[in-house]
Amino acid sequence: MLLFLARRLIQGLLVMLVISFISFAIQDNLGDPLREMVGQSVSEAERQQLRDELGLNDPFLVQYGRFMAKAVQGDLGTSYFFKEPALDVILGKLPATLELVFGATLLIIVLSIPAGVYCAIHPQSWFSKAILGWSILGISIPVFLTAILLIYVFSIELGWLPSYGRGEVDLIFGSWESGFFNKDGLLHLVLPCISLASIMLPLFIRLIRSEMVEALHTEYVKFAKAKGLKLTRIYYLHALKNTMLPVITVGGVQIGTMVAYTILTESVFQWPGMGFMFLEAVNRVDAPLIVAYLIVVGAIFVIVNTLVDLIYGLINPTVRLAGKSA
Amino acid sequence: MSKATGSLLEIRSLCIEFPSRHGVATAVSNVSFSVEKGEIVGLVGESGAGKSTIGNAVIDLLSPPGRVASGDVLLEGENIANLHGEAIRRIRGRRIGFIFQDPMTSLNPLLTIETQLVETILATLGGTREEALNKSLELMKSVGIPEPELRLKQYPHQFSGGMRQRVVIAIALAGDPELIIADEPTTALDVSIQDQILELIRTLCRERQVGCILVTHDMGVIANVTDRVAVMYKGNLVEMGSTQQILERPQHEYTRSLISAVPRTDVKLKRFPRVEYIEQVQSRSIDVKNHWLGQQDESFAAEHKAENGILLKVDDVNLRFQTQSAFLEKNRRYVKASDHVSFEVREGETFGLVGESGSGKSTIARIIAGLYQPDSGSINYAGTDLTRLSDKQRIPFRRQIQMVFQNPYSSLNPRMSVHDIIAEPIRFHSLARPGRETDGIVADLLDHVGLGAASGVKFPHEFSGGQRQRISIARALATRPRFLICDEPTSALDVSVQAQILNLLKDLQDELGLTMMFISHDLPVIRQMCDRVGVMRYGKLVEVNETETLYASPQHEYTRELLSLMPHLDNLSREGLETEPEREVALA
Amino acid sequence: MRSLIKKGIATAVMTTSLAFGAQAASLKVAYDADPVSLDPHEQLSGATLQMSHLVFDPLIRWNKDHSFEPRLAEKWQRVDDRKVRFHLRKGIKFHSGNPLTAKDVKWTFERLKSSPDFKAVFEPFTYIEVLDDHTFLLVTKEAYPLTLNAATYLFPMDSVYYSGKDEKGQPKDQLKKHGNTFASRNPSGTGPYTVSYRQQGVKVEFRRNENYWDKESKGNVDMITLTPIKENPTRVAALLSGDVDFIFPVPPTDHSRIERNTATDLVTLPGTRIIQLQLNQNRVEAFKDKRVRQAVAYAINNEAIVKRIMRGFATAAGQQGPEGYDGYVEDLAPRYDLKKARQLMKEAGYEKGFRISMIAPNNRYINDEKIAQAVAGMLAKINIKVDLKTMPKAQYWPEFDKRVADIQMIGWHSDTEDSANFTEYLAACPDEETGRGQYNSGGYCNPKVDKLLADANKETNLLLRTKLLQEVEEILYEDAAFIPLHWQNLAWGAKKEVNIADVVNVMNFPYLGDLVIEE
Repeated sequence: MLLFLARRLIQGLLVMLVISFISFAIQDNLGDPLREMVGQSVSEAERQQLRDELGLNDPFLVQYGRFMAKAVQGDLGTSYFFKEPALDVILGKLPATLELVFGATLLIIVLSIPAGVYCAIHPQSWFSKAILGWSILGISIPVFLTAILLIYVFSIELGWLPSYGRGEVDLIFGSWESGFFNKDGLLHLVLPCISLASIMLPLFIRLIRSEMVEALHTEYVKFAKAKGLKLTRIYYLHALKNTMLPVITVGGVQIGTMVAYTILTESVFQWPGMGFMFLEAVNRVDAPLIVAYLIVVGAIFVIVNTLVDLIYGLINPTVRLAGKSA
Repeated sequence: MSKATGSLLEIRSLCIEFPSRHGVATAVSNVSFSVEKGEIVGLVGESGAGKSTIGNAVIDLLSPPGRVASGDVLLEGENIANLHGEAIRRIRGRRIGFIFQDPMTSLNPLLTIETQLVETILATLGGTREEALNKSLELMKSVGIPEPELRLKQYPHQFSGGMRQRVVIAIALAGDPELIIADEPTTALDVSIQDQILELIRTLCRERQVGCILVTHDMGVIANVTDRVAVMYKGNLVEMGSTQQILERPQHEYTRSLISAVPRTDVKLKRFPRVEYIEQVQSRSIDVKNHWLGQQDESFAAEHKAENGILLKVDDVNLRFQTQSAFLEKNRRYVKASDHVSFEVREGETFGLVGESGSGKSTIARIIAGLYQPDSGSINYAGTDLTRLSDKQRIPFRRQIQMVFQNPYSSLNPRMSVHDIIAEPIRFHSLARPGRETDGIVADLLDHVGLGAASGVKFPHEFSGGQRQRISIARALATRPRFLICDEPTSALDVSVQAQILNLLKDLQDELGLTMMFISHDLPVIRQMCDRVGVMRYGKLVEVNETETLYASPQHEYTRELLSLMPHLDNLSREGLETEPEREVALA
Repeated sequence: MRSLIKKGIATAVMTTSLAFGAQAASLKVAYDADPVSLDPHEQLSGATLQMSHLVFDPLIRWNKDHSFEPRLAEKWQRVDDRKVRFHLRKGIKFHSGNPLTAKDVKWTFERLKSSPDFKAVFEPFTYIEVLDDHTFLLVTKEAYPLTLNAATYLFPMDSVYYSGKDEKGQPKDQLKKHGNTFASRNPSGTGPYTVSYRQQGVKVEFRRNENYWDKESKGNVDMITLTPIKENPTRVAALLSGDVDFIFPVPPTDHSRIERNTATDLVTLPGTRIIQLQLNQNRVEAFKDKRVRQAVAYAINNEAIVKRIMRGFATAAGQQGPEGYDGYVEDLAPRYDLKKARQLMKEAGYEKGFRISMIAPNNRYINDEKIAQAVAGMLAKINIKVDLKTMPKAQYWPEFDKRVADIQMIGWHSDTEDSANFTEYLAACPDEETGRGQYNSGGYCNPKVDKLLADANKETNLLLRTKLLQEVEEILYEDAAFIPLHWQNLAWGAKKEVNIADVVNVMNFPYLGDLVIEE
């Protein structure tokens, strides 16, 4: 177990090293950060001077070396726009994004499991066909369109739900701003979560359906029937548990990917999370923030993957994580 | 109790159909038989005969769209043939227990044995969890699982195959059923375990006065445990009688040929008797001696001659696999798949390797074929140590040494046509000109293995298991090999198909002067096929000897044990053998 | 959601007793950006100026009719060509409680001179001479006509409040880009609002300054929440759903929607930002020929671009400054005439045309990419084949500065709200030393224009000055120094009860302190 974690840690560090190098290497192509920082009538000479102050005129390796020297101390640079350490900015935005992803994940789980299971058990019913038909459609609709549509229907026409932002937040654990603990915050979560979930939901329904169909054709399900078990127990214990194994591996990684998908959702809903922040940072050529974001997202991927493997190990008794004593 | 009403289970004129768009396929037609309390009735036949379908139909487990079209299934006089849903669920487990073929797949890998036992008891007998738990322990004991308290908490993967099948039996008995349907309960198990499981089923049925339908394709199993036998052929019950009568005096033509096809352990025959009743192989024979197939690469052969008639010398080969990785060397665990193995294979002979699963036979084969690199030791082929060659240097030897794998389903690329599958090695080794010459050779090969040249355009999934194994053989022959390794080539096949394939291999060896290494866990097959045999256990080669000598006077204790477990059908009818005509050679 | 405002009104009435009589209300604003900093001198941008007008007060400010309105300075007189005397209102206090004096103005002026962004505006000025606590002279190096224009940028800061060191040991008045300085976080001005909450990029909350000096203002908004909403559709949706009360900008595609909606109003004003194309004479020999440049001007159908691409949401331009600016000449209209264009090409010997490159941003100006594509299509008709490349603004400006293409697009708004500023940056001979012609990527250089410009910048007689500036526009028109396309209009959307029409202006810093929300 320890060995497994140690190995993952090293892998994670390597991933982040590579990400930092690549993102650092491309930052010159992102544009000129000065242009977004100064007014139009600032002369070129003054801009040069500012560039010098920022160290933007140093050779690439010098800049990267300086960055790495600070990075090992946990300093990923200072955002040009926020004027704060990039990592602090991102960590400040992280709760909003994580709550969005959490809400979407919850929605996906709550909807996709019953829908997928239903489609697997009743392949011929019109409802299954409707779900599967919709899921094909759902995969092909861009999230931006879904979001605008939702806003139009639920905010403008019906006026039920707010159209943007996070609404009221409460402080929990001292510094975590959460929208889960009051009505306004929850209302604000609904549309963004649905939009974000809409990307993955069809995928999950189809995945669960096909895995469930497979599980229902296994010998142990047949044996469970022969044992005289009730169908509900067979479906929801025997088949579903096995269905969840591949769903956890694929799904876990997908949920990690969802952190990246938040960029679109957050920008449509003006959601103050790190995806939206990233988009803005790109527009503003806020290079330190861009680099830090990419590194943090890389770290999230590694963490999610590790968690997925740990959960998988918990559910599947045949898996022993490397290093765990038998 | 009178015969008409007193039977435990009586099946009357049962017809089972599988309707489809193309019409209705009849899987079982007009089958009638009965089972008494405490009696074991064997249901024997080859795949597709409909024997498993009957078992499934009894408890409404036919896979859709199968249905019972007509007939009755009377369980103690009550007709259960058309019960569905909740009604049949009350019978499943509670009155009829079921044992499936493969204990590896019939237990849910994610649930503990306790969960799976207790849920069965609760579903069938009801009662409290506590009672169910106590009964579970009792059941575990009665099927002979040691340390039941500990074992209950474990998961299926922590059990060996035999132990799992015991668990399956325990589950089948959990609801105190009156009848057990055992569908090929020992097919997936090693020989040494088979016997124990059959014994267990027999004892339990006797003790508890439980009736049993034992579905199998294995005449050995029938001979060992059944009281009566019903022989199925293509959905029909062709013959029924006491076991002794069926084995010794089979009435029906099919039964006779089925019995004769069982590899003999008592005598070595020149050829395998085939189940001629069903077989109609159409093939065009070719004159191999003058064909491309018979022409060896002279220069290479001259350069690499067998020394003193020994083509292959395996010398002190070791290979271990890591079973547990760890940071520190001392914490790592290994299994020795090949432990100081040495033997020789003479040119033109068939060398057999026998042993139970996990004994390391396949590992040796893969080392010789170059799929594994040994940790130490050498593989000397006609004077060249293969283990020291680079991948590139090895290519001409790969052409010389070919392999036929156990599973004909997974060893063929499903996206390639049969023609392409066979032509691929010819192209790779540039053995013939592309185009017409290669196409001609492929067509001849397909003809020669009995598939017919026309089958080249088809894809693997369009063929049966036996036909696919023929494709594998044709592919292996396409490089004109000198040395052919067959790794359990027939263990996935029916007995009749097995005979065809083994005969084909024998013929090819005669015609082409092939040297063969034949790997199997099936002792009778080894005896029929091999000139010399090596016995393996736990990665070690424990004994090597001439086949007849080894079977007659085994030296090693393990060899003796293995031989004693071989199913004996001593009273088999020899009728089928005598009628075997000499000209019946499939490919001569 | 809609009831929120009313709720806000109710609570405000109950909890606070406001000095002015009108019903107090709260306002939710959604702009496309929020201020980068609370330091008014850190960046010269629309968002900063919008913030400055809320938290600080200028000496004077623009009226809708392009005249000046006294604010902190209640009156002023020109003493001579170089000096203007200002009289500060008395009794005004900063948010900190410190009184406003001429010293604060001087302090602020000096700080502006050190601001990279603002120093250009105050470059003509030398010093402020404090006469007494409420009187001072603003002095220029030479005669300078635009002293009042510059005074609109002078938002006096609380010099006492910004003195000393902060907890980090940095001087409180430190002015540094992306420096997280004291001033960037803690404003103290005299303005109608104080900042009560700020989360950068998410939300800024302004609360009415109860001691605000302007008791005559009818403004009744006691609480403003500013949320930046970047996406156009989301911003519009937020207004339509009632989540916010006031938005800017409104994309042209949504104008009719907001107009049709019974609960919302659309307010548009002709803008002052000129969108133009610069033809690089240093890269393309043909562009040195006036006739070819004119041919390009004749070939481009400004009106069609305004009508079809901008959906009427722009004013087709034939010169730099819009109507109302000093140099505006009514006759200099857009000149679309394809026949004339072809003829000019023929005369210049380019009948067969040539191939050139062009770049434009794709997320900076309204429909910038579509406009560039339309232009490319129009030029093809006089056989000028255009290889067009568009890119996001972040990548665009470095390319622009490198002058990588033969035709480059730029939009310009005059910081001084004056015609001369356009010429200074876009059409004067490029001169690195003085910074003139900094954005003149076409390389057009006409000494006569530079001379007229220099004269105009010294001419304090506004009538004479207007003549000079008009002559400049005429020369530029005749020379086809650049290709003017249009002035982008401005559009705001608001709920009907929010009377924004009274407070918005072409500079786009709505005077929200004077905003009235009806019951």
